[in-house]
Amino acid sequence: MINKVPLLQIKNLKKYYRVTAGLIPRPLGEIKAVDGVSLDIIEGEVLGLVGESGCGKSTLGKAILRLEEPTGGQISFQGTDVLSLNKRDLRTLRGKIQIVFQDPDSSLDPRMPVGDSIGEALIVHGVSGAGERGRRVARLMEKVGLEAGFAERYPHEFSGGQRQRIGIARALAMDPRLIIADEPVSALDVSVQAQVLNLMMDIKDADGLSYMFVSHDLAVVKYIADRVAVMYMGQIVELADKEELFRDPLHPYTEALLSAVAGLRRGGGSRILLSGDMPSPLKPPAGCRFHTRCHRVMEICPVAEPAFREVVPGHYAACHLYP
Amino acid sequence: MTELKPGQGGRSRIPLRISHRLWGYYWERLQKNRLSLVGLGFIGFLVLTGIFGPLLVQDPQKTDFNILNLPPLGFSIQESIYDIKTNEITTTMIEGRPEHPLGTDSKGRDMLAMLVSGARISLLVGLLATGIAIFLGTFLGVLSAFLGGWVDNALMRFTDIMMTFPFFLLLVLIVFIFGPSLAIIVLVIGLTGWTGAARLIRSEALSLRTRDFITASKALGASDTRVIFNHLIPNVSSLIIVMASLSIPGVIMAEASLSFIGLGDPMSTSWGTILNTGQHSLDSAWWVAVEPGIMLFLTVLSFNFFGDGLRDAFDPKASV
Repeated sequence: MINKVPLLQIKNLKKYYRVTAGLIPRPLGEIKAVDGVSLDIIEGEVLGLVGESGCGKSTLGKAILRLEEPTGGQISFQGTDVLSLNKRDLRTLRGKIQIVFQDPDSSLDPRMPVGDSIGEALIVHGVSGAGERGRRVARLMEKVGLEAGFAERYPHEFSGGQRQRIGIARALAMDPRLIIADEPVSALDVSVQAQVLNLMMDIKDADGLSYMFVSHDLAVVKYIADRVAVMYMGQIVELADKEELFRDPLHPYTEALLSAVAGLRRGGGSRILLSGDMPSPLKPPAGCRFHTRCHRVMEICPVAEPAFREVVPGHYAACHLYP
Repeated sequence: MTELKPGQGGRSRIPLRISHRLWGYYWERLQKNRLSLVGLGFIGFLVLTGIFGPLLVQDPQKTDFNILNLPPLGFSIQESIYDIKTNEITTTMIEGRPEHPLGTDSKGRDMLAMLVSGARISLLVGLLATGIAIFLGTFLGVLSAFLGGWVDNALMRFTDIMMTFPFFLLLVLIVFIFGPSLAIIVLVIGLTGWTGAARLIRSEALSLRTRDFITASKALGASDTRVIFNHLIPNVSSLIIVMASLSIPGVIMAEASLSFIGLGDPMSTSWGTILNTGQHSLDSAWWVAVEPGIMLFLTVLSFNFFGDGLRDAFDPKASV
């Protein structure tokens, strides 16, 4: 079903933010928002990326497009080394990888007619002729289920779901191969969520796209993803096919996440309550970063960092339970 | 191929020109604020007066010693003349005359003509100096916010220094050195008055910069200039307009104050210079000082009302 050629390969990607304070900046430390993430996205697949707020999943998405310049690591897209691209080639790349944002209120310029927002990519990438651009904008709007006649309207004249469709149309303008969807439905009503998700799936099937679908909502991920990666404090802790992960989670963090969703709780299992909040990213715990909240913590956990290894074929986890 | 090029669709958006629907909506909201409409009406009247008025009235500098200190129409003053020969004081009533409806000053100059000429100068100074200040403020504010880092730091510290500098003293000093002329006054007010605008625009641009539509534009491959001119500037344009309308009265007052203390352009009749002549004859001809004072008061009030109305109309959170 899925062609197993990796479209995007991420190796050991890092994004650190230096934190300073004071008038004369004094370094306080580094926040490791993304700390050594390795991932592949295969042509035509939907990779779900889940984790709680602040775990670095959005930063990872933006780092792929170099909207946040990565601190280290490698990204390769269709064989091109993304991090060594110059400005012009980066612009070309940005037509091929696109991003859809979470908040439909802030993702569209309130002072720009939506048709112009959708058509901006065409201008930037040198599609000349207002007539040609107008036709392509109209096609894009129809593709996402909007009337082409709405192109002259402003974002505030649309509902949240419609605005998200506009955001998707904008992302599709240059026929991208990969769309990074950064919580594209979390800000929408449940009824609208389904419509937008179905639209995204239809477009994916029609155009043969791949998605990296960032979400904190496991139900949504279960619906849309082929494979799922679980992220905690800047690292991937588990990665597996969707069915495998939801049926048989390996990492205690994944277990806890799944048990928190009523509909996903495994037969007879009780809910696992995580104690405490996520530790300060300025001072991540030594050893396994999850050990402060883990319900299966062992002696080795605070001491050694677990390796990310293939426990079952195709099912990866970073946990000392699986040596 | 991807930079802004005229005629290739890379038009920058000055919203007044393009977003008719949005501006119609703002106009509707503005209309709900009566005071700001009154202010706008008076400003309109003032603008027409400034443009066409000087063509209709006599030369404001023309003196006539037969009609010194003529009161405004409808008013009269007693004039006592002491006759040395008869050692008597004769008292006559002087009535205002229709050919000088607002009276004359101590040199027999027509008050109406002088006020009309003053309107032109006040508006000219107000608009030009504010234009320079707002342009500089927008440019530096956007630059500061967009480039960030040490550029931002340097520009903002420079702004702080400019703000603490006693501006009026500087004005007096420069006018003293270069001689009083309208151009100098406009330049000095414009080149020192951008600080508040720069700070406001910067903070607005900073918050806009993190909004997703800016990131989206970059993600599409848009250049920095494109992001600035097509997204950032249009989104601060309402702030720019409000700031301009609220800073014009300050500039008008600054020019009037300079003229009042005698540092105005001697070649032009501004409200400040009339006030200056009027203060010496407050006991015998009160109208010479009161009339430009009223004009200044009404003008400043109108701009303030109008600016407040604009601010509310542009603010989506304000209920009008």
